Amino acid sequence: MSILADVQARNRELARQINEEARRNPHSPYAGKFAGIANGQIVVVADDLEEMARRLEKIEPDPAKCFSVEASRDYDEVVEIWSLP
Amino acid sequence: MPRVQWPLMCGRPAVQVMLTLAQGGQPLTRDLLADTGAGSRRAVVDLLLDEHDCLLCGGSAHQPITLGGAYIGSFPTYVVRVQLPTLGFDRRLRVVTVPHVPAGFDGVACFGFLNRFTYGNFGDPHQFGLEV
Repeated sequence: MSILADVQARNRELARQINEEARRNPHSPYAGKFAGIANGQIVVVADDLEEMARRLEKIEPDPAKCFSVEASRDYDEVVEIWSLP
Repeated sequence: MPRVQWPLMCGRPAVQVMLTLAQGGQPLTRDLLADTGAGSRRAVVDLLLDEHDCLLCGGSAHQPITLGGAYIGSFPTYVVRVQLPTLGFDRRLRVVTVPHVPAGFDGVACFGFLNRFTYGNFGDPHQFGLEV
């Protein structure tokens, strides 16, 4: 696995853990927050997507090394797209 | 109030957003189908785009989002800077990437995005517009 692929895999796994923790424990420091991850570490926790994204860009300018998640959100919830492609 | 309007495309409502190329910072305009049937007020999706556009414009990966209906499954999602200069709109939005977009368009502006504005034809049946 390349270094970048390894970083991206660690980012994804950390995001999964953050979301799982926040969904299990409403008192988690991540509950309801947007978490920004870079290089396998949480580097930003913010109340909204805009703030999280702007701060994450400053901390790690390479977007390929970044990942984010809205903790507590059920990402398995289906968003219906009615239009035909 | 600032308003921007675009001619209908293929007889359908369209909005033109401006993205920013990661290399060089040049603007990249994208014509999107304005579709109030895509997502809901509660949904977390603003736009549907080709993944290539998200990567070209420096999108950073976000937790994948699950779609149903016209697209089924979990799709890669990015946080991408989206601008509507006429309206002074400049935000990072959640963009879900899909394998194909509606013919004649570069993507879809979902209800979550349109509902950030006042939208409609503003009395001109040949145009669609957004107003803040």
